[in-house]
Amino acid sequence: MRLCSENVSMSYRTGYFGKRSTILEGANLEILPGRTLGLVGGSGSGKTTLGKVLAGLERPSEGRVLFGGRDIWKMEARDFRLFRRKVQMVFQDPEGSLNPMKSIERSIQEVLSLLKVPKRDWHERTLDMLQTVGLSEELLGRRPSQVSGGQNQRIALGRVLLLEPEIIILDEPTSALDISVQAQVLHLLRELQRERGMGYLLITHSAQVVSFMAHDIAVIERGRLV
Amino acid sequence: MAEVIRALRSAEEKIRARWSLLGPLIFSSFILAALLADLISPYDPWKRFNPYQMPGWEHLLGTNDMGHDILSELIFGSRVSLAVGFSAAILSATLGTAVGLFAGYFRGMADEVLMGITDIFLMIPQIPLIIVLAAFLRPSFWLMALLMGLLWWTALARIVRSRTLQVREMGFVAGAKAIGFSDNHVIFSDVLPNTLYVIAPKFMLTVASAMIAEASISFLGLSDPSMKSWGTMISYAFSRGGFINGMWWWYLPPGLCITVFVLSLVMMAGILEERDIEPVKVD
Amino acid sequence: MALLDIRNLSVSFETPQGLVKAATQVSLALEYNETLALVGETGCGKSVVVNAIMKLLPANAKVDGRVIYRGRDLLSLDEKEMARIRGQDIAIIFQNPSLALNPVYKISEQVSESMILKKRSSRSRAEEISSQLLQRLGLKGRESSYPFQLSGGMNQRAMIACSVVLGPKIIIADEPTKGLDQSMVGQVLGEIRKAKEVNGASLLLITHDMEVARQISDKVAVMYCGEVMEVGKTEEVLQAPSHPYTQALLDSLPERGFLPIPGPSPSMIDPPEGCRFHPRCPWRRDLCSIERPVQKSTTTGWVRCCR
Repeated sequence: MRLCSENVSMSYRTGYFGKRSTILEGANLEILPGRTLGLVGGSGSGKTTLGKVLAGLERPSEGRVLFGGRDIWKMEARDFRLFRRKVQMVFQDPEGSLNPMKSIERSIQEVLSLLKVPKRDWHERTLDMLQTVGLSEELLGRRPSQVSGGQNQRIALGRVLLLEPEIIILDEPTSALDISVQAQVLHLLRELQRERGMGYLLITHSAQVVSFMAHDIAVIERGRLV
Repeated sequence: MAEVIRALRSAEEKIRARWSLLGPLIFSSFILAALLADLISPYDPWKRFNPYQMPGWEHLLGTNDMGHDILSELIFGSRVSLAVGFSAAILSATLGTAVGLFAGYFRGMADEVLMGITDIFLMIPQIPLIIVLAAFLRPSFWLMALLMGLLWWTALARIVRSRTLQVREMGFVAGAKAIGFSDNHVIFSDVLPNTLYVIAPKFMLTVASAMIAEASISFLGLSDPSMKSWGTMISYAFSRGGFINGMWWWYLPPGLCITVFVLSLVMMAGILEERDIEPVKVD
Repeated sequence: MALLDIRNLSVSFETPQGLVKAATQVSLALEYNETLALVGETGCGKSVVVNAIMKLLPANAKVDGRVIYRGRDLLSLDEKEMARIRGQDIAIIFQNPSLALNPVYKISEQVSESMILKKRSSRSRAEEISSQLLQRLGLKGRESSYPFQLSGGMNQRAMIACSVVLGPKIIIADEPTKGLDQSMVGQVLGEIRKAKEVNGASLLLITHDMEVARQISDKVAVMYCGEVMEVGKTEEVLQAPSHPYTQALLDSLPERGFLPIPGPSPSMIDPPEGCRFHPRCPWRRDLCSIERPVQKSTTTGWVRCCR
């Protein structure tokens, strides 16, 4: 199913009497299955906010977000939960994308329990997932601070993949990684897309990453798509 | 020269390592004494011997005006003092954590209301209120603990809220929400564990202040006369002539116990605070 | 005789998981007026080398080898002597300008502070020298601004001025471009180069980005898993790398199509036997897993590979 935004605007008011500041203005985007839409913009251009709005993490002040043609904020609770599962978001900071107090294994299992996977299958599913993202089993007992940034980012991606999403919103997924590791993660993302036909919204400031990954490109500048 | 400095530095580190053990050591020996009071106490604290005995072999810390053995009183008294301290701290920590977590996590209206309530509670003059209530109601240690617990959660609520505001902006919280975990799950399994290290030291300090408050209120004679705590011991030593007649073995030990135990709590709070400063990452 | 001569420097850390061998027999030389880029991925031990030079390692580090600066072994100096070296002879440029500058002082005050403290100059003399330095770095007329009145790039320059005001002979920049937008990278490198030229100093630049090394350095040293794999003139190392790892790093650059290096990063506790790169090397032979390669001369440096 496709995910699109229709005239989405976002503005905040600072304090009770503060001025309203506009972060997004009339944004129209469409993410299609099997394709990658690159969203490029400098820092502070509102690209992350747009990503969060599309992921249903923030409610736009105006406009609609449509998933499969239906407004996500008018969905019934059950449908909204389905939407939550099918549209996922991966964040920038590789160190902060996993709870530092939980072992890697616990972070993965918690998703399995959310999916109501029977306990006896957990180990197998965990190993499957690690294989998908190219990691070894020995990481399971460690904490996020004991594995590298690239590995953290793969685990975060793997956790999201367990939900079998149709669309993933990738917010600067590689900008905090070494260039050589960035290459690994980008290749992994492309391969997964080929296998599963997922749609990506790739938010980044790097023109090179976009030209490597994206089928279509949108540019955002001070809250407006240009 | 370099060797001397290096030797001095390693000596300093060793001393520090030793000192850091001191707090937990004192703390656990007091807890043990309170738990095993029946086993280690030489006498029943209410049994009467000759009054005003100096410390000696019979009575290691002497006896008071009623002929009660002071060491036994101390050991049994620790139960009440510690119980008041810990129950007040547990109650206030639970309230403060809950208020702080919900206010910080949900923001908006919930935040405004909860923090408004917190501000109101902060304005209540706490010790005078406890004294007045203790004076009007039937004096009881449990009431004292309850009141302190109900009044003292405000500081923790503010600390936990500000930490929660930080944690909720971290990637893994947004990630958990995006994956579809419920707010309950996110609060208790993701946010709470990451606020524990600000809660733990504050908890220790609350135990300490509750014990000191208990002693002060007991000293004013507003506590339950049927129970013995360190505070009541000092109060009796004062009102029944221990100070005037220079019977140091009567009034000194309970005061020392409070001081030493509170010190051990403060030391442990310090350790807990330092422990969670992140270690330097190698490359 | 090189300005800074690192000989067989090894650093290891005792951790609960085991002995982490962060650097193994690192030998590097930094000549007068030269820019040396130390290139490697996160976790390869390049920052450890810098911290060992500056004696800023945590207490559980074990350091072997020698770091000779103007005939003196820095590793044998005590803290007091080392404090004199830091800043005055060797300076570090930090990563984040918005965190390293104090918002409540004018930048000229912040730049002159270390002169007043370390060289005991008078305030007026120190301010005079620091505003000259700020002017040469392109901040003419902005000397008495506060950090929040300046742009990110200007603050970067002010921060570089803070680092180099004492006229160090060696400037060390540890990942100065990490996390910056592409447009900022060139600018920051330009500032650092200017600071180096103003002082007539040598520059040791730590980075994971081959492209950064190409833009600024005369010589490149490539580090992998705690070992220096290859050293040579920048053009040679980047045009015709002698080590397969250098080749792999170059291939992962965007303009070469993000070709990833196969296989996982090695463990620093239990590094591979023989050549440390052999598990991921496309040219691997049987010998590679047994014998640690010796240094072989290349046209402008040396390489640690049997091929």
